[in-house]
Amino acid sequence: MTALDRLARVAFTFVMMNAAAIAGLFALRRGRDVWTSGR
Amino acid sequence: MKTIFWLSAVVVVYVYAGYPLLLAAWAGLVRRRPRQPADVSTWPAISIVVAARNEARRLPRRIANLREITYPGPREIIVVSDGSTDATAAAVEGFGGDVRLVELPAGGKPLALNAGVAAARGEIIVFADARQQFAPDALMHLVAGFADPQVGAVTGELVLDAEERSTPSTGSSQAGSTGSPQAGSTVGDGVGLYWRYEKSLRRNESRVWSTLGATGAIYAMRRSLWRRLPADTLLDDVLAPMRAVLAGSRIVFEERARAFDRASVDSAAEWRRKVRTLAGNYQILAQEPRLLLPVANPVWIQYLSHKVGRLVVPWALAGALLASAALMFDGWLYAFAFIAQAGFYGLACYGGWSEHRARTGSCGAALTGVAR
Repeated sequence: MTALDRLARVAFTFVMMNAAAIAGLFALRRGRDVWTSGR
Repeated sequence: MKTIFWLSAVVVVYVYAGYPLLLAAWAGLVRRRPRQPADVSTWPAISIVVAARNEARRLPRRIANLREITYPGPREIIVVSDGSTDATAAAVEGFGGDVRLVELPAGGKPLALNAGVAAARGEIIVFADARQQFAPDALMHLVAGFADPQVGAVTGELVLDAEERSTPSTGSSQAGSTGSPQAGSTVGDGVGLYWRYEKSLRRNESRVWSTLGATGAIYAMRRSLWRRLPADTLLDDVLAPMRAVLAGSRIVFEERARAFDRASVDSAAEWRRKVRTLAGNYQILAQEPRLLLPVANPVWIQYLSHKVGRLVVPWALAGALLASAALMFDGWLYAFAFIAQAGFYGLACYGGWSEHRARTGSCGAALTGVAR
C-alpha cells in the first residue's frame, strides 16, 4: 500500500465520520432499531 | 462571508488540533498516583453483565474467557438474553454455578443492562459484550482502580486488530484469535488510526480528571452509581458513566485492561456504527442537559471541546468550503484554501473508491458500488 493510499483512507474515514454526524442528527428517531453495542 | 470562513476554520482546527494539544499540555502538569487494593481480601465482589441477543454461537467461548481470566475476589457472570430466539439460554445454562441467565422479551440493550444490574450482587459491575475477548489480567486492572474512592467507573482499552497490525508494541497472542481483516482491507487502517487518536485523548482526559464516557466492550462501574437507562438510549456506555461524573465521580482510563476485537472490515458497517454513535451524542444532550452547564459538569470544557465539538465540526467544514468558494477571487489565501479543501475531498473520494475496490476485488464492481 502506498503512502497516498494510506492518506486517502484516513481522509475517507475523516469525511465519513463528519458525514455521520449530520446523518446521526436525522437518524435519531430510528435509534431503537439499532441494537448492536458500541465501542 | 469572511467571518464564516474564519470562524469555521477556527472551530475545525481547535477541535482536531488545538484541544488535543492543550489537553496534552494540561495532562503533563497533572500527577496522579493510582491506588491498588492492599491485598486479596480487599478485592471487591464483581458481577459481569453480558447483554446478548441470539449469541448462542459466541457465548460458550465468551463465558469461558470470563471465568478463566484472573481475578482474586468473588465473581459472578450474568447473561441477559434480550428476546433471543436461538439457543442462547441453553448455551448459558450449561455452565451453571457462578453463571446466571436472565431472560427478557426483546426490549433493547439498555433494558437488558438495567435487568442485569438489578440482578447483580457484586459491588462492582463489569460490562462486557459477547463478541470480544478479555486479556488474562483485564479484570484485575479494571477493578484495581476502584481502590480510589473518587473513581466511579473504569474503562478499559479495546484493541482492534487493525491497530495490532500497525502497532507492533501492542502485540498480543489473543488479538490474533479475534481474526484479522480481509486481505486488502482498507477501512481498518483509517479506523485504527482514528481509534488511536481517540485513545490518546481519552488517556489525557483521564489524567486531567475524567474521560467522557467508557468503552462498551470493557468497562466497570460502582453499582451504587448506576441509574436506570431509558429504553431508547443509544450510548449506554457514555450516559451511565457520565451520570457518575455528574454525581462527582471520575471515570478513569486503564489501558492495561484490554479487550480484543476486529475493526470493521467494510465501510458500510463502520458507517452504521458511526451514525449511531453520533446520533447518541445528540441524544445525550437531551437526556442530560446538565452536561452543558459548567456549574454541574466538572469536565465541561472537555465535553464541549471533544463531544460537542465533533457535532459542530461537520457544519464548520461545510461553512469553510462554501465560504472559501465564494471568496475565491478575493485573495490568494481563500483560493488556496478552496483548492486545498477540494483536493482533500478528492483524496477522500479516492480513499472510498480504493476501499470499495479492495472489498469487491474489481475496478468495475468498485465503480458500480460508488455509483450506487
